[in-house]
Amino acid sequence: MTLPKTTVLAPQGGPQGFQGAGSPLIAGGSGGSPPRASASWRKITRDRSLLIMTLPAAVLLLVFGYAPMLGLVMAFQNYDLYDGILHSPWAGLSNFEQLFTDPGFWQAFRNTVELFSVQLVLSFPIPIALAILLDSVLSRRLRGFIQSVVTLPHFFSMVMVITIFNEVLGGAGLLDTFLRSHGVHNPPQIMTNPGLFKFLISGQLIWKESGWGMIVYLAALAAISPSLYEAAAVDGANWRQRTWRITLPGLRPIMVLLLILNLGYALTFGFEQMLIQIPAVGPGAAQVITTFAYDNGIVHGNFGYGAAAGLFLGVTSVILILCANKVAHLLGEDGLYRTRRK
Amino acid sequence: MDLEASAGSPSARHLTRRGFLGTAAGAAGAIAAAPLLAACGGNAPAKTGSTTASQLAKILPAYQPRSIAGLTPDFPSVNGTAPGYLNYPTTLARTVSGVPGSGGSYTGTAPYWGAIPRTSGNTYYQAINEALGATLNLAPANGNLIINSLPPLFAGHKLPDWIDVPTWAQPPGFGQATQGQLADLTPYLSGDKIKEYPNLAAIETVGWQQGVWNDRIYGIPTVVQQFTTGFYLFYRADILDKLGIGTPSIKSAADLLALGKEINAPNAKRWAFDDIWGYLYQPFGVPAGAGTTAGWTINDKGDLITQYETENIIEAMNWERQLFQQGMVNPDSVAGQSSTAKNRFYAGQMVITADGSGSWNYSDAIAGAAANKGYERAAVPFFTASGSGTPKMPLAPPTEYLSYFNKNLKPDQIRELLRIADYLAAPFGSYEFTLINYGAENVDYTMSGNGPVLTATGQKDVDSGAAVLLASPNNINNNPGYPSVTKASAQFAAQNAGYGYKPLFYAMNITVPNDLTTANAFGPFVSPTNNIMYEVVRGRSSIADYHSTVNEWLRNGGTRLKAFYETVRSKYGTA
Repeated sequence: MTLPKTTVLAPQGGPQGFQGAGSPLIAGGSGGSPPRASASWRKITRDRSLLIMTLPAAVLLLVFGYAPMLGLVMAFQNYDLYDGILHSPWAGLSNFEQLFTDPGFWQAFRNTVELFSVQLVLSFPIPIALAILLDSVLSRRLRGFIQSVVTLPHFFSMVMVITIFNEVLGGAGLLDTFLRSHGVHNPPQIMTNPGLFKFLISGQLIWKESGWGMIVYLAALAAISPSLYEAAAVDGANWRQRTWRITLPGLRPIMVLLLILNLGYALTFGFEQMLIQIPAVGPGAAQVITTFAYDNGIVHGNFGYGAAAGLFLGVTSVILILCANKVAHLLGEDGLYRTRRK
Repeated sequence: MDLEASAGSPSARHLTRRGFLGTAAGAAGAIAAAPLLAACGGNAPAKTGSTTASQLAKILPAYQPRSIAGLTPDFPSVNGTAPGYLNYPTTLARTVSGVPGSGGSYTGTAPYWGAIPRTSGNTYYQAINEALGATLNLAPANGNLIINSLPPLFAGHKLPDWIDVPTWAQPPGFGQATQGQLADLTPYLSGDKIKEYPNLAAIETVGWQQGVWNDRIYGIPTVVQQFTTGFYLFYRADILDKLGIGTPSIKSAADLLALGKEINAPNAKRWAFDDIWGYLYQPFGVPAGAGTTAGWTINDKGDLITQYETENIIEAMNWERQLFQQGMVNPDSVAGQSSTAKNRFYAGQMVITADGSGSWNYSDAIAGAAANKGYERAAVPFFTASGSGTPKMPLAPPTEYLSYFNKNLKPDQIRELLRIADYLAAPFGSYEFTLINYGAENVDYTMSGNGPVLTATGQKDVDSGAAVLLASPNNINNNPGYPSVTKASAQFAAQNAGYGYKPLFYAMNITVPNDLTTANAFGPFVSPTNNIMYEVVRGRSSIADYHSTVNEWLRNGGTRLKAFYETVRSKYGTA
């Protein structure tokens, strides 16, 4: 049985031979196991064009992502603006002690978790549903039109989105004005109702982002082979069964990936949205960790304390991502990165 | 733009709750002395000197009023009000001889609201620089963000040559910055030395007092006006006329409530009020802030307490709560949309509002008339909540805007900039004043019977706001084309200025030690996102919640802050 063996080997040998040919190290290498350094050097020379291409992004990340992290030192200092992080007095863990005993902080934490969860549950399925629906529209023109209309709100600023919502749902907005003119004396003040706030912000996010989120799913749908649908149709599967057995499983990897990325933003989500709307519903409903950190750090001038809240947020976010990624791997998905296949 | 307008509009926007309570991100100042700080256990750097009244008298510039011959105000200043001029003088006097500059080039930054004018080919800047004989590169800074943009500027030692730092946007611990990064102007301006700059010498002394830090003069006060209040209670006179109410007679909080009930008509999309919390300090006698310090008062035992610990503030909250409960406040205001308050007022969607006194001007008249032909703004005379006794109105410091020079400037450069400042501070009715406010004649403006009218180029290029906040004369009241606005506002001010009083620590600069900056920020009472009074009047928090917030503030440094202010009081007095 040599034939199968060679067919298996061929693809492996091909690339290896190709790489080796271009590498002077291999050509001039002595026998036996090559030293470690040369192995990694070989990888670098092999991938050099790719590495050069990633360089600008890596530099950007270093300068704007990692370098500012040095500022987190503030969380352990009684930070003074004029002394800077180099000369401010150390405070040990006192900022964190204060943070964890501050009821305002836990209120903000609870709000963050609650608002994020409700928003995620309500808004996550919408782009998927939209994509599936739009995918079933045959007219290209109509598809393009719908896609433009639902994508447009993504480009509005949050201020504008909230203003539009206020013009429609606010106490002096269209809905309440209509109700008042029809004899309702106390129309529902949706924009200022703390109890409805989680649904309100979900609505705003759905309106603003669903169309945009749909694009990724449309791309994923295009990647599902039509032959699967044809085969299923031949086997007598109806629309529901085809969606359930082909479409959704086909979208699963991208759903899991987006879900994990979403979780990474869980604790930082909605800063602008909340900051604008806290006056309307009060901090009891809308104060989240980011606005809490802003309020304490920037507004009260207590930078160390604000940084402590920020550091807590960052660490928790990383843990959340790692957990979500682990869960994804357990479910057999790639998640953020590929695990080694056995 | 005349002074009233250019100074009025930014301050009106900033005399929000935050500005009025006078507790913007951290107080700073001149008084802190090394022994004082040491006594409070702070770790602030040692500072020498103190600014007692006698010390102030030694260093403050001499005051030498200046008037233009033949130009007398139609409404002279009464108790510190801005003099009112019905008409704009058409023959303009020169108050600066020669060219002030000697060819230097400087950068200047001041807060600015609105579209930033072009820099290249700007006819206004060209006219100014030509007249100054120097290059003043104005870089207007977004007024809405300056409170966040100034701290990094100071922390990074990246100051321009000349910078306006509004009192409500002073970075925490500003007293340290003044010594480290800003030029000491005492050798140039103290006593009679200021007479070298006659227009600067005409700025009222109480304004200069605000520019004194740690015994030295650092700041140049702009648009100074002694009778300055946080808010007026405005109403739409034309709407009340139309409703057959005429001029309302408000003698007590009960009268105001009754008027509100009478005019409130949500079905007609007309609410009686906006959130008028900022004004309630007046009728309810709450001690208001005095600039960089929050409102302080002395209780029955003779101890210092903050405005937040008074019974008056509780009464004010309980009273305003009714307005919200009874649906008399415009819903957008309930939702906290303070930035659109003027639009609601113009559109007649609410009738009674609290706004800065500076908002009573001709640009307001133009904007209001655009929305509503008969638009007329009027103000409720000061009153007491109970209806008995004499009304009291806490005075705000005479300016919110002071400009500073960079310490790295050489003495010759400082002198050149001071001559430029002197030019910018030329009085109303002068050639220079008109140039600074309206640009070049026949390019940026044309002179009409009513005064200067901006041309199309002028509307695009004239950026008087930034220049005025670097240096300007004492405030005046003039509204080109709208003498009726000048008349109404000047008469109102004259009738009510007598009720003004100087609150504790009036116009004093106080640096609190580092570890007290958080308590001194009065976060729970001024924060835009977590403000307990705001929550109480909207019914989302109770008075009990309010008390526990006050107690928490006291525990978190408030008590120590009070002790610090007691030391200031015993050492340097309260005014």
